[in-house]
Amino acid sequence: MASTQLTDEELFSQLKCFGYTPGPVTENTRPVYLKKLKKFREEQQQQQRGKGRVSGTSSSSSTGAPRPVKHDVRRLSSGRRPGLKSSVLGFSSDESDAETPLKRKGLDHMKRPSRSPHLQQQQLKIRAATPLNEANKKQYGVGTALKSNSFPNPDGQTSASLGWETGKRYMHDPESRDEDVSDEEVQNSHPVNGRSAARLNTSKLAGEYSDSDEEEVGGPGGPERDRRSLELRRIYTSGPFASHVDGGGSRIGGKNCALNPLGNRAMAGGREEFEERGKKGDLDASGGLRSHMLPRKPIYLSLGEDHQSKTGENNHINREEGASGSNMASIALRPRYRGSYSPTLSPQGGYSNHSSVPNHAYGPGTQKKKPTAPEDELLLQFKREEQPSSGSFSAHYLSMFLLTAACLFFLLLGLMYIRMRGSGSPAGDGVIKSHPFGSNFDSSYSKTEKDVILKLLLSLHDHLAIVAGHHDCGEQQYASRSLSREQVTQYLLAQDGDFKDFIDVSLEWIIRAGQDVGIRLSGELADDLVMDVSEISWLESTHPRMPFTCRFRRALLTVMNKVLVVAVVVGLVCSVICYVKYRWRREEEETRQMYDMVERIIDVLRTHGEACQENRDLEPYLPIPHVRDSLVQPQDRRKMKKVWERAVKFLSANESRIRTETQQIKGADFMVWRWIQPPLSSDKSKMWQGKAFPLDRRNSPPNSLTPCLKIRNMFDPDMEVGDSWDLAIQEAILEKCSDNDGIVHISVDKNSKEGCVYVKCLSAEHSGKAFKALHGSWFDGKLVTVKYLRLDRYHQRFPQAQGCSAPLKASSLHQTPAPCPLQHGGPNSSGFS
Amino acid sequence: MSTTSQKHRNFVSEPMADKPVTALAGIGDRLGHSLTEQGYDKAYVVLGQFLLLRKDSELFCYWLKDVTAANSKQADDCAQCLKDWCDAFL
Repeated sequence: MASTQLTDEELFSQLKCFGYTPGPVTENTRPVYLKKLKKFREEQQQQQRGKGRVSGTSSSSSTGAPRPVKHDVRRLSSGRRPGLKSSVLGFSSDESDAETPLKRKGLDHMKRPSRSPHLQQQQLKIRAATPLNEANKKQYGVGTALKSNSFPNPDGQTSASLGWETGKRYMHDPESRDEDVSDEEVQNSHPVNGRSAARLNTSKLAGEYSDSDEEEVGGPGGPERDRRSLELRRIYTSGPFASHVDGGGSRIGGKNCALNPLGNRAMAGGREEFEERGKKGDLDASGGLRSHMLPRKPIYLSLGEDHQSKTGENNHINREEGASGSNMASIALRPRYRGSYSPTLSPQGGYSNHSSVPNHAYGPGTQKKKPTAPEDELLLQFKREEQPSSGSFSAHYLSMFLLTAACLFFLLLGLMYIRMRGSGSPAGDGVIKSHPFGSNFDSSYSKTEKDVILKLLLSLHDHLAIVAGHHDCGEQQYASRSLSREQVTQYLLAQDGDFKDFIDVSLEWIIRAGQDVGIRLSGELADDLVMDVSEISWLESTHPRMPFTCRFRRALLTVMNKVLVVAVVVGLVCSVICYVKYRWRREEEETRQMYDMVERIIDVLRTHGEACQENRDLEPYLPIPHVRDSLVQPQDRRKMKKVWERAVKFLSANESRIRTETQQIKGADFMVWRWIQPPLSSDKSKMWQGKAFPLDRRNSPPNSLTPCLKIRNMFDPDMEVGDSWDLAIQEAILEKCSDNDGIVHISVDKNSKEGCVYVKCLSAEHSGKAFKALHGSWFDGKLVTVKYLRLDRYHQRFPQAQGCSAPLKASSLHQTPAPCPLQHGGPNSSGFS
Repeated sequence: MSTTSQKHRNFVSEPMADKPVTALAGIGDRLGHSLTEQGYDKAYVVLGQFLLLRKDSELFCYWLKDVTAANSKQADDCAQCLKDWCDAFL
């Protein structure tokens, strides 16, 4: 929207709509707030678009401005049930208000009172939610608002309730709350299909509530109430649709407050119809809704249209609506919701099973004209879902097609293979056009004789081929591949009596034929070369023809064998690769463990070495098994044995600070590790070793409070050796605060377990500086902390400090101010925190 | 642990009194100059703007980027500096 035309007040109120309390809108804060408003709107749009369906509800409620939401929640909790109903009612009235083009009765323009732009959005939602008459708008609006807030179920319920809630808000307070509600509604009103059932429930509840709402609000009256209840019933079925529509509407309208009231009008139209209690009314309302929705979302209309056309009621609206997108949408939707629509189509569809599957939801919804808005919204959602699915369908089809093509290809390949394998006879069937006998044959015999001979040969050849084929296939019928002469004669005579005379001639010709005619003649013994007809004893086919099944089987087997071999090879390769990878990973793991172990050993040895330094009683070496047993849990010892061995080897080879030697411990020889102390100096001298954290407001008081400080953890009284370690500590403190000339008194509490040092400064400012310098520093490996002490208590404890006023210097160990003797640790450390 | 600059720490450690606007973290010579031209010559004037925006860092960043050619980092630093100062002294 043209935000530049917003006045300051409008900008202010709009920002409040989003739940944000802006500061004063002045000339220099104006652009900032405009930007913020834009950002809010964009976020809203994104939310509506993106999250929408599922997660929207609860998150939206939570993301909504706390203030308005609270208000809603309160309302909800107060009158859940009534709120629902009232919200439903409220919606209807609102809707009718907005629906100008709606043909229905005047409900279209129910009431659009203070419709601020941002309200429109809500109105849209409201309308979508419940098409009730305006009279109860308020109530319903309230109810819906309540409902939306109170329902914890994020899915349908919240969506529905949100829709109502917005309506309610609209009713009562078209301001801040609306925004939140609309936001929430937007989220909630995009329920997924699966949630329509839930929404149904909520709408049902809303219906019930609306009734009670009526009562408590002193609704329009009995008859109206009845209608309303009926409507409510219908509404609840259409509730999910409504919420859908709401979401759709809001989506349509965009996030800006200036929503086009299409959805609202649609809702209103629907409501009107409800009120009319006539199918016509329903149709009209839906039609009106659709007409309104049409320009925006054909889907909505189509949904309504579907319902309407199916119900067979007023078609004029349908017709007019049907025009543009509805067809598309309806088509898109029809196949999807065919099942659900059919039951819904029947005008007498019961309101039953609301809680059932979404399909059923649609069913009852279609009953009456249930606000096409919710349906539309559903449609929109479905359509949206369908669109991606259509895309995927095509992809799916494509993949299926490819798959079938591949299968066919392979099948063809197999068949060809089979054919190649099985068949072998080059000779054609039927008439033998050519024969291998040469021109002599032709000249020797007459045509008929030739034909007979050739036919004989052909049948012989075929027969032999079949025999051979069967034999090869392993059929028991033909025990031997070859046929004896008698058998051949018998067969040929059986074929044709004319063959009798020409058998010998044919055989002779076969012998004469230089090339292989497909028949092999052999003598008594196999493989004898036959020179004369009389020697022929066995005839065999060289081109066996196997039956089809046999061929197929053989081909299949061969193919499968080959495929199997390939698969096996591939599998072997893969397994080898996997194994190699596994081994490699194992190696890495073990190496890592080994290094880890090495580090732990080093740590142990180092600490032991340091302990030995402190304590001269300890032996400076540690037996290796002892180290192992202390580092490795008993149950892991077996597992870690290998790691341990490697660690030991590594240490002996690579670690210079540890020496492996053999020692006698209590009479037994042990391999021990000796920690060779690295030539580190300053084990005696105490040093400041840097700061642990920068001092900022979080870990230090913003300003120094008192001139007295208590410094903790400067030393460990048990560990201190030497006579003047406390002096050293004082020196260290003074050194650290050398820039600070305000330290007048230092006292080291030798007996404190915490290593406390008390410092007094000239002023709070000096102590603040000292605080900054000391707090959080590392000293001698310990983290020093500083806190302020009360001056009076400090004086209580160190009365001599009261008189100190001269700053201490670090370089000198002696205190310059005489009246302030040092080394005065308080006898009791009580009284100081 | 936030990583604050020395300028930040200096500013936040004491009441700003009459410090110039260049004493703010993130505001260097260039930005300071452009702010001064617009009338924000002292740090407390910028503080006033910050307070007008209800101590909202985001809005203050918007404003600062609008009014001067500040980049995000500079604006964030300045906002953070003012915010810390307010936490400490307001």
